[in-house]
Order: sequence, then C-alpha cells, then structure tokens
Amino acid sequence: MSDIAEMTKSIVVEDTFPHAPAVVWRALTEGGLMAKWIMPPTGFAAVVGQEFTFQTKPLGKWDGTIHCQVLTVEPERTLAYSWAGGADDNAGYGSRLNTVVTMTLEATAGGTRLRLEHAGFDLPRNAVAYQNMSDGWKVVMGRFGNVLPEAGDGQNG
Amino acid sequence: MMQDPNLSALMRALADPTRRGLYERISEAAEITVVDLTAGSGVSQGAVSQHLKALREAGLVAERPEGRRVFYHATPEGLAPLVTWFDHYGLFWRDRFTDLRRLLQQLDPKEDSDV
Repeated sequence: MSDIAEMTKSIVVEDTFPHAPAVVWRALTEGGLMAKWIMPPTGFAAVVGQEFTFQTKPLGKWDGTIHCQVLTVEPERTLAYSWAGGADDNAGYGSRLNTVVTMTLEATAGGTRLRLEHAGFDLPRNAVAYQNMSDGWKVVMGRFGNVLPEAGDGQNG
Repeated sequence: MMQDPNLSALMRALADPTRRGLYERISEAAEITVVDLTAGSGVSQGAVSQHLKALREAGLVAERPEGRRVFYHATPEGLAPLVTWFDHYGLFWRDRFTDLRRLLQQLDPKEDSDV
C-alpha cells in the first residue's frame, strides 16, 4: 500500500570493496570484526532468530541499548537483522525506533558490492521539526554530527 | 500527533537569529562567559543574559559558576529532538562504510593502486 510507503523511509548505502565476498562476510558476521566498524555486539551469532544488542549513549528514558534479532542469513549473500530502541518519551534521535538492517553482497569482477539498507524509519513524528527549522537546521546538523555518533565508544583506545 | 513540549521549546529557542548566533558561538568555544559573549554580539549584556536563559531552559546550554564568573558551554544532546533517527543513521552508516573499508584492507591487504 502506498500509504505505508509514504510513512516510512529507508537509508541505502552502497559501495564496492576490492575484496572477495568471503572477506566482507567475515566483517559482517564475526563479533570482533563487527566491533571494528559498527559497534561491539553483545550476543551476536549469524543464526536466524539469534538476539543481540549494541550499546550506545543513553538519552532521556532510553538506556541507549539497540535490540537486534537476526532475520536472514545467506552466507556471502544476505544478512538482515532487526534494529530497535528508543523510548516513547523522546522526540527525534532517541524516540521509539523499530527498523531492519539488510546487507546484501554481490560478487563483482574485482571484489564485492555491498548494499546496506536500513528500513522502517517513521517520519511523521519529526515532520514538524523539519518544516520549521529551515536555516537553523544546517547549523544544528553540523554540531550534532560531531557529538552523537558515539556509537563507537571505546574503539579509539 | 502529540507535540513534544521540549521540542516546541527547542524550536522557539533556535528560531531567533540573535539567539542562534549566540548558541553557535557557545558551541564553537569550549566555554565562554556572558561578558565575552556580549562583546561582538551587538546587543546588551542584559539581552544576552535573557537569551542564555532561553537556551538553558531549552536544554541547549549549561552553566558552570567559577568564583564571580559564570561559564557557558553547549550541551549537544539538547539537539536530539531536532535530529531524526533517519538523519543520524544516514551519517552513521556512511561513516561505518569508511571504517569497513579500512578493516577489510587490514584483513585482506591489497597494494595501493591509483585508479
């Protein structure tokens, strides 16, 4: 239904890496390696149904935990997991979040094309903020970008 | 749709160009006093104080008294209501791909070659 399509949005990031799908798959599915580019997972295993978490900074009534469950495992082809967190009391970043991350690998001549889709963002709640901020918005994003992505806490040490 | 009172306060606080200018200067400085903020602001110290009060109530800045002076600093988490998950993860995943590229190079070293 188009109504649903209009209410949620996806982020898609795609890139080609000069490494075989087997190497990329390791980076997506070994906890120690996931820690080096996403965040350190707790309880991860590349098994459908497996639940695991990522820990980020608490905000308001949200303790900062991202709750995930593995949804799809097709070795060297597809990995998908749910990605949920937030609290009803928060607005914007930190609000209730119920999304799915899907990573798709495709072998290319010199390596692997990786497509990451993060789907299910619910935008109506923030539409007002968007519309009213206009020029203030750009300033805000610049500042915020430097501070909140502390997903990688502890990676620098 | 429920309108978050914090969000309204935040948007009001940043809607004023003078206040937004002050907020930018506080963000750029690690810490700054009212006196330093007033210099170059084009408004009186009393007006600056009023703007600071609004920014403080919106959760955008915090103060730290030291002796007779009060230092202000930005509290970036106050901006959270204005930043959607969507914006956050748009930046987040692009950065993560950069880290992934570095990690893959470590796992599976390739000679650098210019395209």
